[in-house]
Amino acid sequence: MKRSVPLLIVFIVGSILLATYFFQNPTLDQARALLTNWGVIITAFAVGLASVNILRIHTARIANRRSGWFNSVALIITMFTFIIVGIYSRHNPQNTAAAELFSNLFDYAYSPFSATMYAMLAFYVASASYRAFRMRSFEATLLLAAAVLVMLGNAPIAEQIWTKFPVIGNWLLTVINTTGQRGIAIGVAIGGFATSLRILLGFDRGHLGYGE
Amino acid sequence: MWLERLQNIDRRVIYTVLLIVLLAPMIKPIGIPLTVNQTTHQVYNLIESLDPNTDIVMIGMDYSVAGAADVHPQAVAVAKHLANRGVKMVMAAFVPDGPMLAERILGILGDRVTYGEDIVNLGYLAGGESAVKKFIDDPANTFARDHRGNPISSLPIMNNIKTIHDFTLIIDFQTGSPGYQDFLRQLPSDGPLYAVGIVTVSVPNVMPYLHSGQFAGLLPGLRGGAEYEVLIGEPGEGAARMDAQSLGHLVIVTFIIVGNVAYFLSKQQEKSRKK
Repeated sequence: MKRSVPLLIVFIVGSILLATYFFQNPTLDQARALLTNWGVIITAFAVGLASVNILRIHTARIANRRSGWFNSVALIITMFTFIIVGIYSRHNPQNTAAAELFSNLFDYAYSPFSATMYAMLAFYVASASYRAFRMRSFEATLLLAAAVLVMLGNAPIAEQIWTKFPVIGNWLLTVINTTGQRGIAIGVAIGGFATSLRILLGFDRGHLGYGE
Repeated sequence: MWLERLQNIDRRVIYTVLLIVLLAPMIKPIGIPLTVNQTTHQVYNLIESLDPNTDIVMIGMDYSVAGAADVHPQAVAVAKHLANRGVKMVMAAFVPDGPMLAERILGILGDRVTYGEDIVNLGYLAGGESAVKKFIDDPANTFARDHRGNPISSLPIMNNIKTIHDFTLIIDFQTGSPGYQDFLRQLPSDGPLYAVGIVTVSVPNVMPYLHSGQFAGLLPGLRGGAEYEVLIGEPGEGAARMDAQSLGHLVIVTFIIVGNVAYFLSKQQEKSRKK
C-alpha cells in the first residue's frame, strides 16, 4: 500500500498528461489544467519548505557554534529582511518607501554580490584554460585549436587582425558543433523517454526514495 | 629555466593582467568596430516586420542577476526597439530575479511606453516547466495581479490577450532553467514564433534548434546585445563592455599560446638532450 499508492498516482498523472498530447478531449484538457495548477502550487510550497529547511540547518549551526556560524547569522538576517520587506511591499503597494527599500536591497545588495560571484569565473577560466589547454595529444590539440578559434571568432578585435577568424569560428560552431550537439540531443531525448517510461510504469522508483 | 617559468605562470600574474585588460576599456573605451551576425539580424528583421496595431510580443525575463551582464543588454536593446516601433510588450518571468530586472528595463524605457497600455510586468510564477505550461495554456488568467500589484483586469494591454496565439512572438531572455527546452516542449506547433537571447556559454547547445527552425532568432550573449544596440543606433552598456570582453579573450588566447610554445620548445630541448 505504501508503495503502490504513490506509484498509482504517478501512473495516472503521467498517463493523463501524456494523453493530452495525443488526443483532443475537453475532459482530458480540464484534468491537465488542474494537474498543471497543482504542479505550480506544489513547487511554490517546495520553495517555502526549502526556506524552512535552510532555517533549520543554519539555526542548528549557530546553536552548536560550528565553524563559520557567523555566516549562518548573516544568511538568516538577509533571508528574513528580504521576506519581510518583500511581503510587506507586495501587500502595501501604496507604500512607496517599502517598495523602494526592496528595490534598493535588490539593486545594491543582492545584484552586486550575485554578479561578483559570476564575474570571478572569468579569472578562474583564464587561469584554468592556460594550464589545461596543452598540446599533449592529438585530441588535446584539436580541442585547443577549436577553443582558440571559436574564442577569436567571437572577439571583434580578432576580426581586425584577420577577417577569417569569425568565418572559421562560425563554421566550427554551426557545422562541427551542431553535428555533435544534435547527436547528444537525440541521445538525451531517447534516454529521457526511456527513463520517463520506466518511472510511469513503476520500474524506476528512485523518485519515491525507494531506490531501485 | 625560462621555458619552465612560461609554462607555470603564477595565477596572480594572470589575474592581474586580465583585471587591467578588462578595466582599461571600461574606463576609456577603444571602440573596436563590430560587425553584426546573421542571427542578430534575424531577430532585428523579425521585430521590424511586426505590426504595432495588431502584434503583441511576450518577453520572457528568465535570466538571473548573475548572468545579467551577458543577457540584460540584449533585453534592454530589444525592448527599446519594440518601444520605438510602438509594439506592445507583456513581460513575464519564470525565474525569481526576472520581475526586478523587468522593472529596470521599464526605468530605462521611461516615457517611450505607457505602463498598462504598451507594456506590463506580470511578475514571477514559480513552478519551472509547469509554470511555463500554465502560462501557455492560459496567459490571461495565470497571473491575478501584475508585479506592481495592479489587478490584471485593470490593465488595457491584457484585454487583448486571451490565448497564447494572441502573441505573435515570444522572445525569451534566459540563463538556464526554465528556458528554451521548457518552452519548445510546451508551445503548440502552431503557436507564436519563438526567439531567444542567451548567455554566451549556452550558444553551442542551442545551435541545433536554430538550424532546425525551432528558433525564429538568436541573440548570442553580450555580443548579441552589443550588435543589437548597433542595429537600433543606440549604443549602450553592451557595446561599451564588448571592448573589455574582446581584449579579455585576446589575453586568454595569448596566455594559452605562450604556455604551448614554451611546452613545445621544452619538449624539443628534452629530445635534443637525450640525443
